[in-house]
Order: sequence, then structure tokens, then C-alpha cells
Amino acid sequence: MTDTSTTSPLPLSLHQRSEAEIAARVKAIESIMIEKGIMTTEAIDRLAEIYETEVGPQLGAKVVAKAWSDPEFKARLVANATDACAELGIGGLQGEDMVVVEDTDTVHNVIVCTLCSCYPWPVLGLPPNWYKYPAYRSSIVRAPRRVLREDFGYDVPDTVEIRVWDSSSEMRYWVLPLRPAGTEGMDEEALAALVTRDSMIGTGPPASP
Amino acid sequence: MTEVGDARRRVEALLTELPTEGGDLAFEQPWELRAFALAVAAYHAGQYDWSEFQLALIGSIRRWEEEGAPEEDAPWRYYDHWLAALETTLAGAGALAGGELDERTATVLANPPHRGHVARTEPVAVDPAVSPA
Repeated sequence: MTDTSTTSPLPLSLHQRSEAEIAARVKAIESIMIEKGIMTTEAIDRLAEIYETEVGPQLGAKVVAKAWSDPEFKARLVANATDACAELGIGGLQGEDMVVVEDTDTVHNVIVCTLCSCYPWPVLGLPPNWYKYPAYRSSIVRAPRRVLREDFGYDVPDTVEIRVWDSSSEMRYWVLPLRPAGTEGMDEEALAALVTRDSMIGTGPPASP
Repeated sequence: MTEVGDARRRVEALLTELPTEGGDLAFEQPWELRAFALAVAAYHAGQYDWSEFQLALIGSIRRWEEEGAPEEDAPWRYYDHWLAALETTLAGAGALAGGELDERTATVLANPPHRGHVARTEPVAVDPAVSPA
């Protein structure tokens, strides 16, 4: 057993790194561990999954609830999501260029990253595994209505157009879902509890009150 | 009792032995969650005793305090120390060689995962509405 109390890197050197460098360092550790067969991606994913609710998407839910309650905020959010989120102190890496697409009675929006897994994590947390799978990335573009119905059990009425938006590193889309019926008079906190992660990806509705 | 609930309780049993600031382990950045999961996964893989990780974490926090808790240069961030402890214990276990991590980090930084994904301002697919008959 080594004496770990004296061999740690100096905390100061750690703090001088940028957020992107630190994130890359963690990724590098992960890739080395996997390469050496010490652990598997599945094992790490599994552990992360248990705790991932703590990194979001409750922040996104807060933004949506505010937009449902405050028309002026909603206008600012749709005009410039990054700035509107910054008003609430929400932002960071991979959230620099967020674009909110608003659901209406006649249009429903869904997001995907057709190439990799671009995702607005400051508001939605980490992407679910299926979001990263090739199956979702290709099928949602080919047959959005069918995929929503068959894979997500989400029946979008035929009278509603479905638009699929490709999130990239420069353009990170996410969905402002329709406020559910029967929520008149609810405050922002109660509304936020109805906003699901999938409703902000567009693969599910918000919960009913 | 759900499977996830059981797994969570097992991990939490480990966490109770760790120093925390106000008992708060919540994550602010995705890398923090990933570093968290890596440390537990490495322990499950038998790379070190949990007490070694614990000592390394305490050591990193102590050094920060000995430097006078330099809030300006190095504001308090729990997961900075977590990452330092992870690096230390993995190196101690022989799982990380000197220089290996710096090299790989440089490679990761040089190869951003989203390179080549052009921004598109129109939907990539539209499933049109059908007028009711």
C-alpha cells in the first residue's frame, strides 16, 4: 500500500486548469482504465446513472416553469436561450449556444444529435444513453412520428407537425413543451415538478398535474 | 427495494466515510459525476481499498487548507480534490503511469468529439401534419 497522503498532485496546480482541461482529464482517465481492462464503460455508466439526476434536468425544468408563468421571460428565452438561462444563473460548458424551440398546438419539436451526442447539458444534465445510440440518431430523422409512438409510447396527434432539430456544438437545441392543461394557478415550483427530461428532448409529454 | 435503490445504498455506505462540505456531494458539472463514478468503479474493480481513496481525498483537502484555503487562486471545489485523490490512488495502484495521463489528456483536448458537426438552423426532418378528414 502506498502512502497516498503525500503523493497527491498539489491542489493549486489543479485549480489553474480550465474547466475544459479538467473535463478532458477525467475523460482521459476513463479511456485509459477501459483500455487496460480495469473497468468497463457499462460499469461506469451504471454508477453514474444512479446519481445522474443530481446534475439536471431540474435546471431545465425551472427554466420551463418560469417560461410557462412569465410571458416576458418566455419571449426572451425563445429569442436567446443562452442569455435567458444566464439570467437564472444557468449556463456553462456546452451551453454557450442554446436554442429553445417552442411547442405549439400545431407544431411539436424533437431534438437529436445526428453525428455524436451534442446536448444542452447545463439545462438537461447528461444525455440518456439512448440519445447517444445510432438507432435513435438515425430513426428519429427518418420516421419521427413512428419512433415517438413505437419507441417512446408518445402519440403525437396527426394534426400536429413534428420538427426534428439537429443539435451540434454550435447550436444546442432543446424543447419548450406545451404547458399541460389543468395547471392554471400552479406556482413555478409546482409546475417545474411536471417538466420531465424527455419533454425537453421532445420524446415525451410533461407530466399531468 | 429496487435494484437502483440497493446500488445507491451500497455506494452511499462508502460515501459516509468521506469528508464532505456540509454533507453535500451534489454535482455541478458532468465531469464531477464521471469522476465520482470512476472512483467507485475502480474500487469495485479492486484497484484500491476505499480507505486509501479516503486518505488521498483528506490529504488533498488538507493541503489546500495548509495553503491557507486560497479562495482567490483556488476556490473551494470538492471535486477538484476528488479528482486529485482519484489520480493519486490509481497511480498508487499502478493503474496510471507517470506522464500517461497528461499525454492522454492532450490527445482528448486535440480531438473534440463534436468536430465536423456543422450547425443547422432548419429542422433536419419534418413529419407534416395531416388535416383532419
